[in-house]
Amino acid sequence: MKRGELLGSLEHIILLALVRLDGNAYGMIVRREIEERTGRNLSIGAVYATLERLEAKGYVSSFTGEPTPERGGRAKRLFRVEAAGKRALQISNQTIRSMAAGLKGRWGTI
Amino acid sequence: MRRCSPPTFACWLLESLLPDPYREAALGDLIEEYALRIESTSRFTASRWFWSQACRSLPPTVWSLLRSRDCLISISIAIGVYIFMGTLKFAADWMISKLVAPDQSTHVVLAPIVFLTTTVIGGCVAARIRRGATIFLALMITITVAILIDVKVCSIPVPWWYQFGFLTLGPLTVIIPPTLFGRLKQQGTVT
Repeated sequence: MKRGELLGSLEHIILLALVRLDGNAYGMIVRREIEERTGRNLSIGAVYATLERLEAKGYVSSFTGEPTPERGGRAKRLFRVEAAGKRALQISNQTIRSMAAGLKGRWGTI
Repeated sequence: MRRCSPPTFACWLLESLLPDPYREAALGDLIEEYALRIESTSRFTASRWFWSQACRSLPPTVWSLLRSRDCLISISIAIGVYIFMGTLKFAADWMISKLVAPDQSTHVVLAPIVFLTTTVIGGCVAARIRRGATIFLALMITITVAILIDVKVCSIPVPWWYQFGFLTLGPLTVIIPPTLFGRLKQQGTVT
């Protein structure tokens, strides 16, 4: 991760969902996890477009699962967070924590 | 378990427009979730959800396609096919005018046939070279038809649905037939 390059909000949320799901993450599960935890109803296109971007940056890797009949014979694409992705998450979380430090009393005014 | 199949046209749309790397996985995910939803809700609600997912998936997909490096190649292919289609349509119009020598009203009947045949051929050629190029080709055809309607290229009065047909069927015949042929070919290989 280049110095100063922060994760976008969707990238951040999706990376966190992948860490939560721990190796068993594919598009639909990621989408549902985010919807259950945040109430944000993402489209599957937005999830995959973000995952593609994260993979291009080297933050996640993917592998193809077995095709199943309940998926119309289509294979799953499972995602895993790579070391670079975990580092990016740490930097992003740290940055947000640093910026939010000491503002607890002012939330009402921001 | 109830037998369920998601809305066919929405599936076609996604199959045609989603980019190669995640087309199969995304469609499989939607079909899987649709099957789960149809168990807990009505077929109508599940179909509505599927349609909303399909429609809402298109803007991020197109945006990510525009941001990718492949975008320029796809646009170049679309322009090339567009020129090829223009030449094909011009040749067909010229041949019809020489052989049949139609009057304006016959031309109104023949024009959609020539136009739609050309768009089907163009769509198949573009998809054969690069699947992503069909989106740009469909967009270029929509813009062209909209401009031609605006400048009132047809000298005799035609009903609104005639022009609307060109505007909607033009892009659809670029996108749908390659997917349909691809699916039929796939079924043929399986059997």
